[in-house]
Amino acid sequence: MPDQPTKVTFTDPTGSGRPITLDTVAVPRSEVRDYEQRINKIPEPDPHYVDVGMLYRFAQVEKIRREQPDGTVPLHLAVRGHMGTGKDHDIEQFAALLRLPYYRIPLTGEVRDITLIGSVKLYGDGLGGTESRWEDGDITRALRGTALVNLSELNAAGAETLFALHGLLDRYAALDLPNGETVPLREDVRLFGTMNPTDLRDYAGTQTLNKAFADRWVIWEKDFPDISEIEAMLDRRYPSMRDVYVRHISRLATEINRSFLSTDPGTRVETPISLRTVLDRLPVGLMVYREREDPLRTAWEAMVLPHIDAYDIDHYETVWAACVRKGPSDPPFGG
Amino acid sequence: MTSRDRSLLAEILPLEERAIESVVGRYQRVAGAVTRVARTLTGREDLRVALGSSSRASEHEVVIDPGLFQAAYGRRAPVTAEETALASALHEVIHLVSSDFDECRPLPGHWLPDDQPRPKDGEEITLLEALDRAGGPPAEALFFAIEDARQERQGLEAYPGARSVLEDLYRSSLRRALAGRGPLTRFTIACFMSVGGYVPPEHLERLLDSRSGAAWADSRAVLDEASAATDPWDTGELTMQLLAIAKAHSLIHHARPDDQPHARREREDAEKDAMTDGLDRVRLFSPAVQDADHYNEVRQGAEDPTGLDHRPARMDRTSGEGTDQLLMVSQAPVIYLPNGQSGKLAVVPVPDSFRSFSHRGRAALMNAAREWNVDQRRVGGELHPLFIANQRRGLRSGFDAGDLSPHAALLLGGGLYQRMFERRSVSTRRSYAVSVLVDGSASMLQPRRLSAPRDRRPWGLAAAMLGAWTLAAMCNELRVDFEVALFNRAFAAQVDDTEWTYSRRRAAAISELRQSHGAAADRLTSTVNHYVLSAFHEPWRRSDDLLAGLFWTAAHSSEAGVEARRDPRRTPPVSLFEKGANVDELNVTYAAGRLVNHGARVRVLVVLADGMTRGSVEALARSVEEVDGRGTTVLGIGVGDDTVVSAYRHHQVISRPDELANSMVAGVRMALRRGLALDGEDTWWIRAGRQQTGSSPLMPELRSA
Repeated sequence: MPDQPTKVTFTDPTGSGRPITLDTVAVPRSEVRDYEQRINKIPEPDPHYVDVGMLYRFAQVEKIRREQPDGTVPLHLAVRGHMGTGKDHDIEQFAALLRLPYYRIPLTGEVRDITLIGSVKLYGDGLGGTESRWEDGDITRALRGTALVNLSELNAAGAETLFALHGLLDRYAALDLPNGETVPLREDVRLFGTMNPTDLRDYAGTQTLNKAFADRWVIWEKDFPDISEIEAMLDRRYPSMRDVYVRHISRLATEINRSFLSTDPGTRVETPISLRTVLDRLPVGLMVYREREDPLRTAWEAMVLPHIDAYDIDHYETVWAACVRKGPSDPPFGG
Repeated sequence: MTSRDRSLLAEILPLEERAIESVVGRYQRVAGAVTRVARTLTGREDLRVALGSSSRASEHEVVIDPGLFQAAYGRRAPVTAEETALASALHEVIHLVSSDFDECRPLPGHWLPDDQPRPKDGEEITLLEALDRAGGPPAEALFFAIEDARQERQGLEAYPGARSVLEDLYRSSLRRALAGRGPLTRFTIACFMSVGGYVPPEHLERLLDSRSGAAWADSRAVLDEASAATDPWDTGELTMQLLAIAKAHSLIHHARPDDQPHARREREDAEKDAMTDGLDRVRLFSPAVQDADHYNEVRQGAEDPTGLDHRPARMDRTSGEGTDQLLMVSQAPVIYLPNGQSGKLAVVPVPDSFRSFSHRGRAALMNAAREWNVDQRRVGGELHPLFIANQRRGLRSGFDAGDLSPHAALLLGGGLYQRMFERRSVSTRRSYAVSVLVDGSASMLQPRRLSAPRDRRPWGLAAAMLGAWTLAAMCNELRVDFEVALFNRAFAAQVDDTEWTYSRRRAAAISELRQSHGAAADRLTSTVNHYVLSAFHEPWRRSDDLLAGLFWTAAHSSEAGVEARRDPRRTPPVSLFEKGANVDELNVTYAAGRLVNHGARVRVLVVLADGMTRGSVEALARSVEEVDGRGTTVLGIGVGDDTVVSAYRHHQVISRPDELANSMVAGVRMALRRGLALDGEDTWWIRAGRQQTGSSPLMPELRSA
């Protein structure tokens, strides 16, 4: 594990922006108490990851953050997108490339400010008595050293819980703990968030983000990848997958996800095909059923259809009939 | 969707499943996904795909004639019904959005035969005009064959599944289309199949005779080029090359300088017919690429820049009624009978315009009630205690008020007395419900004998309406859920129909459907109808005017008919009472289903009908038995006919209107007694109904009488 910064370059997949080269972050051994633990939280770059533009956008903001032009304050980035669009994966890979310890803190309706910030807890002193000690919460612990903190499902936590973070996220840039301590936002800490859109979709537990809290973030939308992006992802992760399978899976996912995003209730489905389905479940299904007469169909029935609401089955099957109908009988991999 | 292994639709699907309404109904299951794919194909996210009487396409809307689907079903192809619906719809979308041959360019000089005059300088014409001038009808036919296949190959490139359905449909027809055909037809079909890539060349080669085979072999390079052409004018260029090859192999006659223009045109038309007749046995019909005339019709239909349906309001238009009727039938629920049979039932509201007769109807109801002795003393007086008894029983069991909440103490403490009871998850809190079903066929309007020997009047429907009114009014008074429906078999009226719109719609629908569906038109326009007059959830005050108006129409049918002829635009559609045998069992099953779904515990279904069902008495009897067995008491009251004796376990036959009251009282009393017996309370209810005085709450009109 090198402690010295190295260079990492982010390229714009659209080709319109100039590459951005940044130094990786070195965790200062002398400044952080939990150095070993923190070092172990630096994620490994995913060799199969395909950046469809989000990392480049992150890097653009990171570059400004490091240059610190006069008058600027740190910006915090939140990514909003439907399930299975790869939001958290983007942020994790950004941490991996910058070699930042990655803290993913899931927010739920049950999370309270004391969970995030910390509280005084009682400990036995071994002599029959107890003593009270302050114990950092999840965010406080992460903020005490070099870190990329990903507050996932931002809009699942109650507004009253998130109020505690307002000071950290704005110009004040610090967290005041109930014990009187102030934890400043370090230069080498980055705050990110993810959330699902709060529309009529079935994202149980989500709610509209408090306006004041939302105003402390830069919120970017993450769409489902388009057909060429899905093809690139499949090619990268499964280089031996035959082209015909890659084409079929990409087309199916694209069509279904367009239906999912449709505002017209007559053409809409309630379940998208997530990247987990495309990149994990279906390929494994193809491996499992590779000796079947129609491996793709069998994988579709075993790995995709069980996730679908009953009233969407006709739609899924019609898209299947339009895009594939009879899957290839060739082995899915090799050749 | 059905199993992917199913094949040969013509053999698998029973005849009724291949009927147009089933085909359309099946399309509607996949319509959402078809629209999705059509939007991707066109790149227009606001595109609508709708069914209509004629195919047309504009920027915002693609309208598909549902008759096109049915043609695809007739083929013996290894495809499922849903696949056929999908492929034929996408096929139509592709051609409608891809066909644009209106760009004007100079006619290429080399297209013209040597004996033809050269085009004028600067003159620009459309592609179809150019082809007609250069090659005549055969050039046009060949162009459309190639362009058809080219559009499908390129348009459906991203949808190999849909394309494979077309391939199966075409290949299933290929051998038969080629059999016994001349070389020109075979050559045309071979060009179409090659450009579309629907059949491997080696397979095609074996199916062609020597002359067409030789011409096709010479055309291979041109056909390959046509598959990849990106512009209709390029296809036109390649068409002229193919035409030259066909002429070189004597498949098409060379024009001679001494040909008479008329004879030449006739010969060319015959050649064109030979080409398209054979080709149409293989490809699916699509007006946009059928021929120049059809193409121009489609383009004219799309001229409206907004693409919206600007047809006149339904009151004044007649075109498209056939399609509207088709869609109505397709969307009608299918009712399954216990004997395995099924049928579609059009469930529609009663036309609102019958309210215009309500004033006269109320007066007539009052007179009839008095004349026929159907007043509340007979009906209400005897049944009232039974209804009350049922309600008491319900309250004692906690069924009506709900169950005591486990939080009752807290709620009481909080002063929330009204929340002491929890509601059950049933749609009604009442213990029983009554549904009255009245036969609305024209036979109920036939004159029948009354008490005097020569006194014959059409009292059947009127008496039934009076019975329905009496029971409905009483149910309303006692806060019993009730529903009244009328059933017949005829062209279904719509809620805003008047005699004018109804008769015009009916005539237009019959005419259109006869043209498009021949003998099936009668079946499609004469539907089994279930007119809901007053639904369970509707207050009686919203429906009593309608029933009064219907009563007047029934009791004074001649006068109503005269009025309808005199002022059809303001008169309700009195001609909806057509002569047509009913299908009682569908209506009984449907009404019983609604009763069960309503959730009441004691359910009474009273059917007032006059005779034979169009189905069978056995089927009706089994349906009634099935409904009875599930806890709904079905009472059949035969108006001047004893068919009910065979079909209904509980029945009454009346031969005079004044017998109606007795029948209804006896029948409903039996049903209520049965309901009480369920709780073991079968003794105290035997209490004579006391005669009520003028303060009748059930029929207020009688008070003033």
